[in-house]
Amino acid sequence: MTDKILAILLMTLICASAADGQEDIFRTGVKYYQESNYDDAVRMFSKIEKSGIESAALYYNLGNAYFKSGDLGRAVLYYHRAKRLGPGDADIINNLKFASQFSKVQMVGVQLNPVEAFLKDTVGSYKLSALGWLFSLFFISFLILLIMKYGLQYFFTGIDAVIISMLCLTIFAAGLTSFKYRVDYLDRRAVIIAPEAPVYSGPSSNTELELRGAPGLVVELLQESGDYYNVLLENKRRGWIKKDLVAEI
Amino acid sequence: MKLFSINILYICFFTFSVVGSEASAKVSDIEIEVSLNRDTIGLNEQVILQITVISSEQNLPAPRLPTLPMFKVYSQGRSSNISITNGVVSATLTYRYIFTPQRAGTFPIENISIVHKNKRFKGNSVELTVLNQGVATPKHLEGSARDPRGNSRDYFLEAAVDKKNPYVGQQVTLTLKFYIAVQNYGSPELSEPTMTGFWSEVIGNKPVYFQRINNRRYKVSERKYALFPTQTGELTIGRAMISATIATRRNTRDPFSMFGNVFGRGKDITVRSDPVTVNVKSLPTKKKPKNFTGTVGKFSITASADKRKVEVNQPVTVLFKITGVGNIKSVAEPAIPDLADFRIYRASSSENTSRVNDKLGGTKIYEEVFIPGRPGEMTIPSISYNYFDPESRRYQTIKTRPIKISVIKPEGYVAAPQSPFQPNDISIGNEARDIRYIKTDLGDTQPIGQVLIFRPIYIAVNGLPLAILAGLIVIRKRREKLQANVGYARSRSASKMARKRLSKARILSNKETVLDFYAELNSVLVSYIADKLNISPHGLTTDKVRELLSARDASQELIADIINVFQKCDYARYAPSTIEQEDIDQSLKTVEEVMVGIEGVKFD
Repeated sequence: MTDKILAILLMTLICASAADGQEDIFRTGVKYYQESNYDDAVRMFSKIEKSGIESAALYYNLGNAYFKSGDLGRAVLYYHRAKRLGPGDADIINNLKFASQFSKVQMVGVQLNPVEAFLKDTVGSYKLSALGWLFSLFFISFLILLIMKYGLQYFFTGIDAVIISMLCLTIFAAGLTSFKYRVDYLDRRAVIIAPEAPVYSGPSSNTELELRGAPGLVVELLQESGDYYNVLLENKRRGWIKKDLVAEI
Repeated sequence: MKLFSINILYICFFTFSVVGSEASAKVSDIEIEVSLNRDTIGLNEQVILQITVISSEQNLPAPRLPTLPMFKVYSQGRSSNISITNGVVSATLTYRYIFTPQRAGTFPIENISIVHKNKRFKGNSVELTVLNQGVATPKHLEGSARDPRGNSRDYFLEAAVDKKNPYVGQQVTLTLKFYIAVQNYGSPELSEPTMTGFWSEVIGNKPVYFQRINNRRYKVSERKYALFPTQTGELTIGRAMISATIATRRNTRDPFSMFGNVFGRGKDITVRSDPVTVNVKSLPTKKKPKNFTGTVGKFSITASADKRKVEVNQPVTVLFKITGVGNIKSVAEPAIPDLADFRIYRASSSENTSRVNDKLGGTKIYEEVFIPGRPGEMTIPSISYNYFDPESRRYQTIKTRPIKISVIKPEGYVAAPQSPFQPNDISIGNEARDIRYIKTDLGDTQPIGQVLIFRPIYIAVNGLPLAILAGLIVIRKRREKLQANVGYARSRSASKMARKRLSKARILSNKETVLDFYAELNSVLVSYIADKLNISPHGLTTDKVRELLSARDASQELIADIINVFQKCDYARYAPSTIEQEDIDQSLKTVEEVMVGIEGVKFD
């Protein structure tokens, strides 16, 4: 157990020191971008990503550099990744919206579950970490109240009502946090990055062609079979697409 | 039947002539081009004279031929090609005549003319050579078959094109002919000529045939190429080269010559063709359609949809098939206008090439996907396509038929919100200027994929108060139990008390204080068992201990050890002098073991 904790601390330290070195690479990437040298800007930003570090700004800049170099699929992919880390960032939201309009295939979303839509709207602009800390605040407050009452035998008027209220807030925050975690990490979504991306009715190119996907189109990954993903499109249609034509967000 | 066709053509022509006469009266631009399909023929052969009249006028008289007594002339008919570009009607009329020579000689054919509105328009003159022999060998071939000293060549390579002045994009057929009059071994090896400025494709090899030139029989190997000039101006097709091994000439004075070539090794030769120069004309700028994409040849177009009934936002694949003669690989995509009701994008293109009479052609298929954005009856309109026809020297427009699509509402359909985005006004790439600027600060970084809720710090922050609460609750519960249950309290403190007293007994564990030691040891054990059983230590006899412990499922061995310790204590009290130090240590050890054993017995 002690070894595990030490390893985690060491990793955190390594990441902290690596981030210092990555700042220089990041600045070089920004310089290339400012000089309209977008391919080199992509190269520099990708270097940071390959070192195992991520940030909303890094993904946002990668999205911009890919967009400027004409790679719509990867631009949308990185804007989505940036949005996961910085969902409230107006620049990311704007550029994602702007770039998505260029996709040759636009889906009309069919919303089947209004509760899910409401929850998505509610948590959409919050980071998972923010919701996580909100849960912690309510949970720890709830525990402190319990400690006061049951551990230290300290009572005040209406302590039970406060405890119940805090318990409700804790459950609510836990629900939002787990929903956000599901949306951000458990629901596997991908962006089409290949210029030509046929979507078939089965996991083979010999099956019927359902749709020709285009770069920038977002799909939900449901299952895998061989070289194919079973995908759910925004209009709730299903199909199969080759794995190498998409990149997971 | 033929006459009937000609009549129809004539009627069509006449109709167009009447309709267009008023417009054409303003222009009087007539071009006459005269050509022969061969310039040298034998007496038993025929030649076709073609007169092409290109004019913006349609009601022209037939061309006048000069008197040609040395030929029998038959008309092969007339064809017309009418085109309407930007409202102006223009026509290309082609007259064909078959000439059968009556005698040998070289005859100029000139003064072919048309008189129109008192003005005479003359065509170019051509010259036809008629040879005495039945079938003519072209003169240049006779020249090629001789070396500079006039000796007959054993082999030579000829390169020729069918057109010297093609339009850019028009097919030029290059023919390579390898003539050989001696025996050759193996297959001749060809080095292809350079064709800079042309897009080229091999048409194929013709089966080997024989031709007599200068009274010598040559074996002819023929290979053809379709060349499409990609640029204007003078283009040169480089020299082709053939390497072969031929039989050496027999030495007639050698008495064994009849065997010589059978076992001879032959002679390696290389032969080159002359370079061929082609002067490529640019396409006429006159009446060039605005959306002309550079397609040259003669084509037709059709459009077909894979479905006529579809849900909103579901794709309809439309195949645009362009079929005809020309460089099919360079046939451009039809220009589809932006349609408000559809999102359109190109899916793929494919082509099939074919050859008819050395002319390259085929079908090019453009697959376009139309995605209807709203329900209703939609129409994919007629799509126009322009190409330049080098034969008629006119730009032609062909059209597809409109396609009706019935678009239905799917279940759960929600209309897309109106987007402020205008796809035609912006484009992806460097020109797109509406994305917001990049960030100059890397911001908060974290290892990729790290999620806060699984980080140790987060778990610790939330787990610590939980642990504190659990700890406090346990402590409180224990305290409450101790307060409420004396027996439980005695039992919980029994070990602690016993160990304290056992320490005291350990101090007394020597021979001098043997009585005190055993008295203390007895007291420790009695008090410990009494506390564990929550009974009074007074009157706790060995029999009582045996009974109580047996009732609580203590092992017989443990009970025997306890009884043994009690007996030892009694024995020491009455005969202390017989006790050795070894007995004292053994008794102390036994009590410690017994206490451990009693801890394992359930007393509740």
